[in-house]
Amino acid sequence: MGDAGNPFDAVLDDSLDVDRPGAKRRFDFQPVGTAVDMGCAPDGTPLIDPRIFASGEFRRNPYPYYRIMRDHYPVFHDRLHNCYYVTRYEDITAGYFDEIGFNTIPKGSSSGVLGNTQLELSGIEHRRRRNIYGRHLVGAALTKRLDAIRELGQDLIDEWYTPANPKGVEIDEVAGTVTLELGAAFANEFPISVVAQVLGIPQDARTQFTWWYDAMMQGLGGSDTHHDGLVARQDLEDYVGSLVEERRHAPTWLHDASGVPICLDIISELCTSEIDGDVMSTEEITSFVALVVGGGGETTRGAILNLWYLLLQHPEQWQAVRDDSSLWNTAFHEMLRHSTSIGGQPRHNTFDVELHGVTIPAGSLVHMVDVSANHDDRVFSDPERFDIFRDDLYSEKILRSGHDGAATDGRWSHMAFGVGPHLCPGAWISHQEAVIGSQILFEHMPNVRIAASRMAKDIDGESLAPIGLGAIRELWLTFDRPTA
Amino acid sequence: MSTSQGHGVDAHTGEEDPGEPDERHGYRTYEVYQRERVGETTNLISPRQLVGDDYLSDPYALVDVLRENYPCYRDWVGNRFWITRYDDVTSVLADTANYESRPRAHAYLAARNGRSLWGELVIEAALKRCIDDALDQVIGRVLDGVADVPDLATSFAARLPLELWSEAVALEPHERSDFARRLWRMHRGAGWDPIDRVAGAAAFDELADFFDARLRRSPDGDDLVSAAARLGATGHDLVVTLLEADHETLHGGLANLWFQLVGHPGQLQAISTEPRLMKFAWLEALRHSPAVIHAERFARHEVERFGRLLPEGALLWCSTAAANRDPRVFNEPDTFRVDRTDLCQREPRGQYRADGLPSGIAIGLGLPSIQPARPKERPRSRYALTEDIAVRASRSLLERWPAIALAEGASPSLRSLRLGDMHTCWSLPVTLA
Repeated sequence: MGDAGNPFDAVLDDSLDVDRPGAKRRFDFQPVGTAVDMGCAPDGTPLIDPRIFASGEFRRNPYPYYRIMRDHYPVFHDRLHNCYYVTRYEDITAGYFDEIGFNTIPKGSSSGVLGNTQLELSGIEHRRRRNIYGRHLVGAALTKRLDAIRELGQDLIDEWYTPANPKGVEIDEVAGTVTLELGAAFANEFPISVVAQVLGIPQDARTQFTWWYDAMMQGLGGSDTHHDGLVARQDLEDYVGSLVEERRHAPTWLHDASGVPICLDIISELCTSEIDGDVMSTEEITSFVALVVGGGGETTRGAILNLWYLLLQHPEQWQAVRDDSSLWNTAFHEMLRHSTSIGGQPRHNTFDVELHGVTIPAGSLVHMVDVSANHDDRVFSDPERFDIFRDDLYSEKILRSGHDGAATDGRWSHMAFGVGPHLCPGAWISHQEAVIGSQILFEHMPNVRIAASRMAKDIDGESLAPIGLGAIRELWLTFDRPTA
Repeated sequence: MSTSQGHGVDAHTGEEDPGEPDERHGYRTYEVYQRERVGETTNLISPRQLVGDDYLSDPYALVDVLRENYPCYRDWVGNRFWITRYDDVTSVLADTANYESRPRAHAYLAARNGRSLWGELVIEAALKRCIDDALDQVIGRVLDGVADVPDLATSFAARLPLELWSEAVALEPHERSDFARRLWRMHRGAGWDPIDRVAGAAAFDELADFFDARLRRSPDGDDLVSAAARLGATGHDLVVTLLEADHETLHGGLANLWFQLVGHPGQLQAISTEPRLMKFAWLEALRHSPAVIHAERFARHEVERFGRLLPEGALLWCSTAAANRDPRVFNEPDTFRVDRTDLCQREPRGQYRADGLPSGIAIGLGLPSIQPARPKERPRSRYALTEDIAVRASRSLLERWPAIALAEGASPSLRSLRLGDMHTCWSLPVTLA
């Protein structure tokens, strides 16, 4: 035996204990707003274990962790997932406007299924493509089509009481009530119908559209459903391919309520537009369509469900919206601030960047965490509170430049649509869909309330589950059966 | 399209459109993107499997799937590209023009200074001298420990490198346990775990303080610290040097070698009869069961390789585990054979295929391409030094206990304790006679 024994014995005690704290961490569910104790640095700074990001606890209760990151690690280097998180409102805003420093090359997990989309373009290339179809989703072209959107919503509601009952509506004749799942009955299809129409895809392809959308969304991220996503993508490409051939020769138009042509539908516009003297390829158009399918479906579906879920849990605010339908706009924006279904946007830094003392090497994946920015108490007071009357949220016309409260009136735009050149092009139409859809629903659901017994519950087994990241999957509602 | 180019009123906001930004460096053309077509089907594996418990215990089954189906696999969860075929991995490791490694010490150096001294000839010479002078004595001490506690993973494989480091930095016997604990914590803390990072940073500072005190002594000795003192190095420099030195390959390599030998008694018997085979057994263990099962490389700039466009900064996760068992290169790659004839049986110099035969890729031992044949007056490479230590110690062990065998009832296994840690045997009980 050596003079002092085996020096490795000291290591054995120290590091090889598989039961030591953190060796095999399971993140138990915590009360909403409370973070799992992941240990502290000697100065008391709480630690963030990057495994938390893949946990169920984080998905249902993300905000206390983002608070730790904002307060202590405004640039958090996640070495396990090889990326950086930027979490403060001010930093994210600056990053979105800095197209040179933070480019869109990251090839987020979407490109594996959706193909190369404008999400990954910058500067001139991005702007040229976006401008081709962007005008269909805003301004006069949108305003003239609001009646058509309303009509699509009404068509869906009309199906509730047809004998075939395709929406699975449950009618209790004795109690005189109707119970339905809002997603299945309305919110899943409504945005897709709107998107299909504005794209110029015939409404009879709506069922297929739903499958394209579902399969492609589930196939993102190289998961085991990736194959299904690619099959759907190929099917969409085949379908769009034949449509493109038709539209190149015979473009079709969108019309207002009186049948007056407004503008070409988006596919026709893409088919007949030239970029740098060249028409767009079918593949490129398909990627556009795939992106719009993805971007225009899930986000608005989630917005409608989250909006109703939150409002119905806050009776005084729900009453205010009932009394003044213009408050749907405000409620929509506050819902997006509080519980947007899009977590953030990836960027790559073009050069080495030093931010808050952290050097981010060029080419790193930087997650701009929009949901964290929306809960940054440097900007929004008591950010975890849902309050359509808050005075620090800008909720008027959506601006690409954002609304800077410090330079104006103390109100800030939320980050759910991003800001800057890549501001969500569907922001305006999504807003209209959610508000118009909600207004129609309100008209047809008297005395509506959440069917609590059918809803997912939180860890106490009684209160309703929090929304967490993304959107709730189901929203069961009960209302009095309309008399006429 | 009236809105497609030039200045005008923004249809979205009604604001004045500032016009298109100037073309400048940093924007990529759309055609470049188009070369990376819609992703291939990768349904045979989920990226979550690559961070799961199965990967920690048996990475080979999973990396086989990658190597045979997705040789450049885009891992969305880990944000990396897995490179798994032998020729691909060696081409990346050797291509320092396109790919770079990033020092481990980055994990600690944001708040500290320090530089690795491994480029200094006197440091490498001092290490060689210390090891050559002390090796026999250290091996004797370690084997005495094996007699007391017959577990080759802890008493032999883990202890030997720690004892050698203790000799190299001239530690007193009572200082060795603390040194080992700190060194180990510091190495582990360079990974992704924040709890280990805190402990590692504290160990880094404690070691730096310890060496600062040592460096202030008269630098007359032959050890590594004295050589560093003569260079004017600081405690931080010495600690960074220790951090960047390979520790896992000798420790894990020895454990894995003996894991294979006691698991293949026939081959152990062959080595008893023909001791020169121990060197081949070491090389075969490095190939068959490398302790360091991956290496990180980052794309220095946008590179088109493996049918993909790898963006600047992309992480290439070069899997030694997969490459060393590539059936395109090695016959029956999953079989451990000390008499393998398709493996280069000397230190590869300047290339991975010295003598026309492939070498097992051993990340921790340095790259053949950057460790070319050295003039006689230069010290042996760390590759050769490590091989000498492992082979001499293993031969001594076998000479002392020719009937060494796996303890009855023992069922050892290889395992990484955490993602990124070495894949080795942590407990290998044996009977000595």
